[in-house]
Amino acid sequence: MGQAIYNILVFPGLFFLILFGWAAEFIDRKIYARGQKRVGPPWYQPVADFIKLAAKEDIVPEEASATSFKLMPLIAMASAVTAFFYIPLWTTEALFSFYGDIIVVMYLLTIPTLTFFLGGWYSRSLYSTIGAMRTLTQLFAYEVPLFVVILASALLANTWSLSEITKFYALHPHLWIFNLLGFGIGIIALLGKLEKGPFDIPEAETEIVAGSFTEYGGRLLAFFRLTLDIEVIVGASLLAAVFLPFGLNLTPAIGFVIYIIKVLFIVILLAVLRTILARFRIDQMLDFCWRYLAPLAFIQILINLLVKGLLLR
Amino acid sequence: MGLIKKIVTWGRTKSPWVLHFNTGACNACDIEIIAALTPRYDLERFGVLLKGSPRHADVLLCSGPVTRQIGDRLKRIYDQMPEPKFVVAVGTCACSGGVFKGCYNIESGIDQVLPVAAYIPGCPASPKAIIDAVVKLLKSLEES
Ligand code: SF4
Repeated sequence: MGQAIYNILVFPGLFFLILFGWAAEFIDRKIYARGQKRVGPPWYQPVADFIKLAAKEDIVPEEASATSFKLMPLIAMASAVTAFFYIPLWTTEALFSFYGDIIVVMYLLTIPTLTFFLGGWYSRSLYSTIGAMRTLTQLFAYEVPLFVVILASALLANTWSLSEITKFYALHPHLWIFNLLGFGIGIIALLGKLEKGPFDIPEAETEIVAGSFTEYGGRLLAFFRLTLDIEVIVGASLLAAVFLPFGLNLTPAIGFVIYIIKVLFIVILLAVLRTILARFRIDQMLDFCWRYLAPLAFIQILINLLVKGLLLR
Repeated sequence: MGLIKKIVTWGRTKSPWVLHFNTGACNACDIEIIAALTPRYDLERFGVLLKGSPRHADVLLCSGPVTRQIGDRLKRIYDQMPEPKFVVAVGTCACSGGVFKGCYNIESGIDQVLPVAAYIPGCPASPKAIIDAVVKLLKSLEES
């Protein structure tokens, strides 16, 4: 019991996630700044932002539905952290696992996006309503390719549990090669999920102020920002577990270092993409996702079916 | 208690998010504010970010002498910002009315409408002066 609470709250749970999320945010902002030939923020910037926001006044707009408005950041954070426990990190065994947890993780990772939508919708401001609609429109664009490539990888491993998938890839170390296309699609879809880089359409500052978060301030905004930081880590860990199955059978210390390197690699990839690409319009994004990303994801399924039929008999 | 207060003050001085509002300026001061936020001066070094929504902002950068028409709007935007909040008057116009002082259609300075935390003279105020003022404002916060 005590061990479980320690695992959930401290390591590798909430506390570890928050620290790692802050580190990832710093790296992301630093790379973004260096890409523009700036010095960039100091290393403690995400911590200072969080403390400042947490110490500010909470304002709930008069027209907003107060309970839902205040509840949304907490639901978002709870679901993002819960998803983390089902992902195998530096061993082939996740903290908790059961048959079918891959579906649960994917849906838990969708809930933060839904809370961004509901939070924006309930704040009743024009900007946040438009942002909320865009969040939902974007969800339909990237979610299908992301689901399809992760399920394609599961198809090859012939299981519906994340821990079983990593066990399978640890046993067949060369098979990850066939999932490279899926990894690329996963990275692009993750950019959409995190509302970053070319897909920051729902919170485009130059058009709709701050999108769904326009009316959020103080502590509630701090929690939303923290959720986004945590989601980066959870999303990157999910991609790392499914597509980069290296160093899983080593001692925990080395495995841990390899895990950190894998996640940082994905974080840096996301930051570089965010720096070099300009924002799409929402219709261009839908077009791109459905015309190119989704068919490529189905090609990934085809590849995996062939590999399964020909190589793994 | 003292420690928590110290940590909160530290957070506030390291992460001032600014909101820029034109209260009737001739636009030169606005351009200088924008110039201060470009990569050339890189205000993110001090944690400064430009925010579009008053709900996210800590510092309200105002430029211009406050025309009669914009006075109400300025007050409304100020009310939408969560506490603690600071107003910085950028440019001679914002400090005192400048060349427009005494005109029939202006209020002659931000401090006629809102409490001002820092004044930046200059017509227009240069980016370096703006950065200097923000840093001084943060220092005074730290000391108080
Ligand atoms: S201070 Fe000078 S530059 Fe600035 S708004 Fe007034 S007239 Fe324009």
